[in-house]
Amino acid sequence: MSLFVKGIFLEQKKEPMLTRSTLVMRQEFEYFDCDFPDSAIDELSREQIIELARLAEIVDESDGKMLWEKLEKSPSGENVTLIVDAVDDEPYISSQMSVGIHQPEKLSLGTELCEKVLSPEKVYIAMYRHILDSNFGIPKKIGKYHVKKIGGLYPAESRVHRHLPKGKNSVIIGACAMLHLARAAEESRKMTTCFVTVAGDVVKNPRNVEVPIGTTAEKILELCGLTEEPEAIILGGSMTGRAIFEPENETVGPTTRGVIALSRSYGTYSYTCIGCGRCDHACPKALSVCMMRKFAENGKFDMLEKYDVDMCIGCGACSYVCPSRIDVSATLIKAKKQMELAKKEGNL
Amino acid sequence: MKERLMFQNAPHVRQSESVVTMMTDVIVALLPIYLIAFFYHGARSLVLGISGVLFCGLLSVLGAILLREKPAADLTPIITGLIIPLLLPADIPYYVLFSACAVAIFVVKIPFGGTGYNLFNPAAVGFASVAICWPELVFRYPATMQKIEVFGESTVKIAQSPAYSLSLGAIPDQNILDLLLGSAPGPMGATNILVVVACGIFLIVKKAINWIEPVSFILPYSVLCLLFPRIGGSPLEALCYELFSGALIFGAFFMLTEPVTSPKRDFGKLMAGVSSAIVVFLFRYFGKFEMGFASALILMNVFSPIFDSVCENVLHVLRHTDNISASIKAEIAAKKAAKTVSEPVVRPVKKTEEAEIAEVSEEIAEIEAIEVSEEVLEAENETTEETEKEEALAK
Ligand code: SF4
Ligand code: SF4
Repeated sequence: MSLFVKGIFLEQKKEPMLTRSTLVMRQEFEYFDCDFPDSAIDELSREQIIELARLAEIVDESDGKMLWEKLEKSPSGENVTLIVDAVDDEPYISSQMSVGIHQPEKLSLGTELCEKVLSPEKVYIAMYRHILDSNFGIPKKIGKYHVKKIGGLYPAESRVHRHLPKGKNSVIIGACAMLHLARAAEESRKMTTCFVTVAGDVVKNPRNVEVPIGTTAEKILELCGLTEEPEAIILGGSMTGRAIFEPENETVGPTTRGVIALSRSYGTYSYTCIGCGRCDHACPKALSVCMMRKFAENGKFDMLEKYDVDMCIGCGACSYVCPSRIDVSATLIKAKKQMELAKKEGNL
Repeated sequence: MKERLMFQNAPHVRQSESVVTMMTDVIVALLPIYLIAFFYHGARSLVLGISGVLFCGLLSVLGAILLREKPAADLTPIITGLIIPLLLPADIPYYVLFSACAVAIFVVKIPFGGTGYNLFNPAAVGFASVAICWPELVFRYPATMQKIEVFGESTVKIAQSPAYSLSLGAIPDQNILDLLLGSAPGPMGATNILVVVACGIFLIVKKAINWIEPVSFILPYSVLCLLFPRIGGSPLEALCYELFSGALIFGAFFMLTEPVTSPKRDFGKLMAGVSSAIVVFLFRYFGKFEMGFASALILMNVFSPIFDSVCENVLHVLRHTDNISASIKAEIAAKKAAKTVSEPVVRPVKKTEEAEIAEVSEEIAEIEAIEVSEEVLEAENETTEETEKEEALAK
């Protein structure tokens, strides 16, 4: 299978954001009270750490779940590998990596706490290696933890567990959640902020910012400045995020990874599919994308199912390579939703 | 800020290459071939090219108007209009060229829905149709380096083309260097092998075409020619004559690689290349028709959806076996862990593991059997080979 698995080469464009330190927006921090204020960090017990995560209301930014639930319900012990997710394989986005690079002490402290809860066999921090246009080295170690570089082409996030021996469980926790856990333990601080990358070709001062949850996209863009009017503002990653129209009403949440302002907008359909097959080759799941797009447009859901449309992870690699600029992945995702609806109504 | 915001679907960054750049590359690669034709045949070759382009463009605009669509800014008619004259002799009457263009656009392209939907290579069908209607004009090549009038009936010296000599089983009069440099009589654009290959390599480097198709066509064809030479003399000499006569190399780089009608995946392209090599060889070896390439290409276009579905079926099996084996391995590990905790007996666990693996492989074999039976008989061998390879790799 891995013979056929391909991805796409993306220019990462992470340079100014990663070398600059994180900008913190001025704000009031919130603190919580806990019953064990004086106990030293090294002496915290498993239950106390989970309690800390609960009191601080930490949300794991890699999947949007509450951290304490994750810590409580995840498997633990010998067979488990704890992976700290700082992969960031989409262009521009570097909010998780910057946490690892600029605040390594906090990250390693948070990881230590999680290690205590899960008592895993192995712990490593996963980062994306493929940053050709950056002379920024990724550290070999953060604290006492080994940094595993996830190489290769986009998408890399789905390959995080590939290095694991078969049959082992893994727990993936985002890097920002680790940082918030460390803050909760040290300062009893609630998680009221999130890390967002502000970038794009019309942003004057692209960098990673730490803003309160619920800040509007407009404010965040004002913070970094714009050189000209953007034609598209994107909330989320540049490959999977969504375009927004009302930046004064759209707010960032714990799982938002970036706010990107672009001057160039690619319109929709500009040409018919010429059947070049590049989408087929780009797909990391080795799906026959070109055929599936035709089925999706003609509403042939039974055929779509035969072509394994449910394996599609919506990474957008197929749309990226399409020389006709067809929104292949968007078509597929839409068809998948329609399929689910039809299934619910019992039409399929 | 709000007024200028536009809607766009994810992803928000796109590759800079587009259909327009790809097609421009192809057009740029065809221009040097016209220069060589100009050098050997004079201004008539250029006028033929220009009129082909204009006529094809005109026809596709007309077709769009007839279908009540807005004429799109489309470069494919230009490519078709550039390729067709290159397959014809330099003194071809204009009405033959126009008929070929008309067939290419009005019969092959527009009725099926325009660019991207044609079932056959338009240039190949256009050429094949005029070759059937006017064989005495299409296969009569003027000798090189003589002046051909730009308009009107030409009165030029006719020479025997190497492809024709080969079909008679005779060694051509020209030596191989002549063939390489293009001074041998033949189709206007296909004679200068060196320039054609250079242009093809340019296209491959620019990623406008895939290298697999030309290579997988030319290599098997050479092997076949070495094994079954049509003429006497050393096999290597015979091979060179076979490869360099007619529009073989030109077609391999410029017509076989047409994206719309060729298979999508690399493996499908490989199958298409190899099978068209075999078909072209058979056409040339047994047929009396001088140029089997266009007809073979049209025949292979029919098969490209089949090659695609073969690839999809193979991948379908692989995707599912990957999932099945991963989940079963996880199960085995979980069971192992559970057993080692409760009763530290090793042997039974091993046995169940082996049994499980046997079950899995049986399952895989079953799925494969079903898939293979679904496929078209012709492609059966290749599929099983492929899965076997994959299994071996997996092991
Ligand atoms: S979006 Fe889906 S179909 Fe497209 S490349 Fe990604 S996994 Fe493949
Ligand atoms: S990449 Fe675009 S043009 Fe090429 S086959 Fe896929 S959908 Fe068609």
